[in-house]
Amino acid sequence: MRRSGIASAVLIGVAGVFLTLWTFPVLWALLTSFKSERDVLAYPPTLFFTPTLGNYRDVLFGATTILPNLISSFIVATFTTILTMLLAIPAAYALARLNLPGKRAGGFYILATQMLPPVGLIIPYFLFLQKIGWLDSYKGMTLIYLTFSLPFAIWLLVSYFEDIPREMEEAALIDRAGRMRAFLYVVLPQVRGGIAVTVIFVFLNAWNEFLFAVVLGGNNVRQVTVAMFNFISVEQTLWAKLAAAAIVTMAPVILLGLFAQRHIVKGLTVGAVKGGGRR
Amino acid sequence: MNNGRVSLKKVVKRHGAFTALHGIDLDIEPGEFFALLGPSGSGKTTTLRIVAGLEEASEGSVFLDGTDITNTEPGDRDVAMVFQSYALYPHMNVYQNIAFPMRMVGMPKSDIDMAVLDAAKKVHIEHLLDRKPGQLSGGQQQRCALARAIVRQPRLFLLDEPLSNLDAKLRLETRGELKKLQRSLGVTTIYVTHDQEEAMTIADRMAVFMDGQIVQVGSPKFVFDNPATADVANFIGSPPMNLMPAVYRDGVVRIGTHELQTSCRIAGERNVIAGIRPSSVRLGPSGIPARIDLIENLGDALLVDLKLDDMMIRARTGAELTSREGESVFFSAEPAHVHLFDTESRVRING
Amino acid sequence: MQTPVAARERRFAIYLFLPAFLVLLITTTVPLIYLAWTSVNRVDLTSPWITGFAGADNYSKMLGDPRFWNSLELTVIYTGTTVVLQMLIGLGLALLVMQIPRGQGILRVAAIIPIVLAPVVVGLFWRTLVLAPDFGVLDFVMRALGLGSHDWLGDPNLALASVIVIHTWQWTPFAFLVILASLSSLPPDIFEAARIDRASGVQRFWYITLPLIRPALVIVVIMRMMVALSAFAAIFAATGGGPGSATEILNLYTYRTSFTELNFGYGAALAMVLLAVTLMVSYSMFRLRTAR
Repeated sequence: MRRSGIASAVLIGVAGVFLTLWTFPVLWALLTSFKSERDVLAYPPTLFFTPTLGNYRDVLFGATTILPNLISSFIVATFTTILTMLLAIPAAYALARLNLPGKRAGGFYILATQMLPPVGLIIPYFLFLQKIGWLDSYKGMTLIYLTFSLPFAIWLLVSYFEDIPREMEEAALIDRAGRMRAFLYVVLPQVRGGIAVTVIFVFLNAWNEFLFAVVLGGNNVRQVTVAMFNFISVEQTLWAKLAAAAIVTMAPVILLGLFAQRHIVKGLTVGAVKGGGRR
Repeated sequence: MNNGRVSLKKVVKRHGAFTALHGIDLDIEPGEFFALLGPSGSGKTTTLRIVAGLEEASEGSVFLDGTDITNTEPGDRDVAMVFQSYALYPHMNVYQNIAFPMRMVGMPKSDIDMAVLDAAKKVHIEHLLDRKPGQLSGGQQQRCALARAIVRQPRLFLLDEPLSNLDAKLRLETRGELKKLQRSLGVTTIYVTHDQEEAMTIADRMAVFMDGQIVQVGSPKFVFDNPATADVANFIGSPPMNLMPAVYRDGVVRIGTHELQTSCRIAGERNVIAGIRPSSVRLGPSGIPARIDLIENLGDALLVDLKLDDMMIRARTGAELTSREGESVFFSAEPAHVHLFDTESRVRING
Repeated sequence: MQTPVAARERRFAIYLFLPAFLVLLITTTVPLIYLAWTSVNRVDLTSPWITGFAGADNYSKMLGDPRFWNSLELTVIYTGTTVVLQMLIGLGLALLVMQIPRGQGILRVAAIIPIVLAPVVVGLFWRTLVLAPDFGVLDFVMRALGLGSHDWLGDPNLALASVIVIHTWQWTPFAFLVILASLSSLPPDIFEAARIDRASGVQRFWYITLPLIRPALVIVVIMRMMVALSAFAAIFAATGGGPGSATEILNLYTYRTSFTELNFGYGAALAMVLLAVTLMVSYSMFRLRTAR
């Protein structure tokens, strides 16, 4: 298409603006995390300074360590992911491919559970967990995390299951595999990619969760999203340490995102463009 | 004067280091059904798209009725195109698809209505107007694309292999209808195809493309009878022309150890490629001996594979043949039907 | 007529589906019932001796509660504004990026970053590094442009706009990516046909592009609305709902009532209203999707 040089420049300019806009906060936090608290307060903000690893030391190993919180987050996210996948994979397969009685109602139910506002649900969760003594515990936290990860995982996996050609299962059944083995040995390997994407999303959402973590956690189970507030108090904000803590918290998630970027985009759009659009 | 005269002058198209078109010159008369014929990648579709304005020429110009349209937007060129994939708008029904070009220029609804019905009737889809493309068969989609093109009464029709997605029987039927339609509308039509039989039957004149160049222009009959190069000779005709290395001397051509008379009057001796069409091969009691390798019975004709030394020659004859596979026969050809091509340049030798 | 094979398949399907279904039943439906029950009871942890059935008291209290109406209004403004912005910017950017195929790759990668960040961290980022007066980057830029220093999150007139900006910043890339994928899936030849059919750029967009990406647009709007209605962490981190009630959208009001003021009964009632609003919005959105 014929396009003038000016038009091209404008297009590239606008794209560049958004590129900067989206990456800037993280880059700036990264920069800040290497400043000493004094440099941080300098005004105008400096780009050149003596970098220090002091913040990272403090945040990881020092008095203000968030290492136990990172571990907490990791435990909760991992358990949530494992449990979610164990429950969601069979359920999604049943919804997508099998003659499940009440399939449409079932599918609608799954969709509906995603509509419930979390703020509403934490009230009964809090009161209930308090009553059975599961507050501030890993089992309580994981169970509640299933609320948002399970429907989402099922919804994603259904679209991946629908993508496999039917002939696969039919061939396996003709080969006398039986339904369970057909599912395990023929169907599952086909959706390996979809499962990987779902795992990434579930883990990510669990890692990033805040509301449930802050309400249902305590001293025992204190995830890193809650621990961020260690660095902000009424008296002062430890800017540089906060930046370092944020970077440490978000680094795994960002790396995961960049690494699996293409799959994540596919996962986001698969549900939206394909599964959602044409049903 | 608005009657659809097309001229291409020295059109070149480059993609980076690769040259797709090496300087195309073409003149198409108003009302002609003109075919662009050639194998895949020969540049015929590129040429069509340049005429349409969908691609820019790297060099050269395109003229329509004397006006230079090289830099005009496709929408302003007053041309209509039928794509190989039909390119129907999937979210609109047949009526809306056909009406689209009229809506775009703000024609009043009643006029659009008449025009759409008229175009639909011409291609016999007036009963399908409220179906969506997804609900149509391949042939019906093709007609819809056609109707969308003719509704505008443009100066030029551009058809990009419009029949290639149809099954064989439908292709034959539609071919005839296309020809009749064009005759009745009288609009200049440029038709791209790789099927030489299609071009032969449907076109008034054609241009044969090879490797980004036009190697011959002429009526189908002329090209058939006088192929400009051995490659054109090989491409046109089914089965293709038999090409054999030979030695020419003073009007006679020697293939292996056998001789055939030609109608060429050039003196001297040279190496040539001799070409005989399967339909020109005469099997009989005298001529060049060969062994019958295979006989394919087409019902009203026979395709005979002959083996001569290490060459394979195909003949197409009427249904009478007493010899069997494995037996020897003699074959010959009328002198006028023995084509000669230069061994190196592969260009036709006339004389 | 059910063959044994079909019956076996049905049983197999039920076995596979049941565990997840049961878990969801326990974690969503049961709490929902409990929430509804709590909302018609008096549950106030600051006065734990006052318990008992309250009937519709909590709800009637709501009708006369200005803070409730404020939160409802803020929710509407917040949700509406951010979704419209996300769609406009996302669509505009996607259309633009379609013209520069080489820029697509790098922009796609950059778009991932805001999406994968924890909303609470995003809120903190903006609160400290960007919007803080006398410290944040934006402050520096504004002063350099001669536009003066502003307390973006502390000024009641600016706080709502600021949190809307924060939410939009984080989630526009999502709209961008989905719309871009939808645009990329459109067959190019129909656009060529449209060019030949004398359609201008604007006409091509209006008559061809827009109708064909409509399903994706609707899905994105629905998803973004749901997220905006339940947005909590970023606002909590940035303003906590303040200053005062300037950014106290309904779910923040619910949270504060329940966990700061410890009035669970009233909080539950507020949550029920939030649920009703969410269901209404999603219902009407789904109707929109299947319309025409």
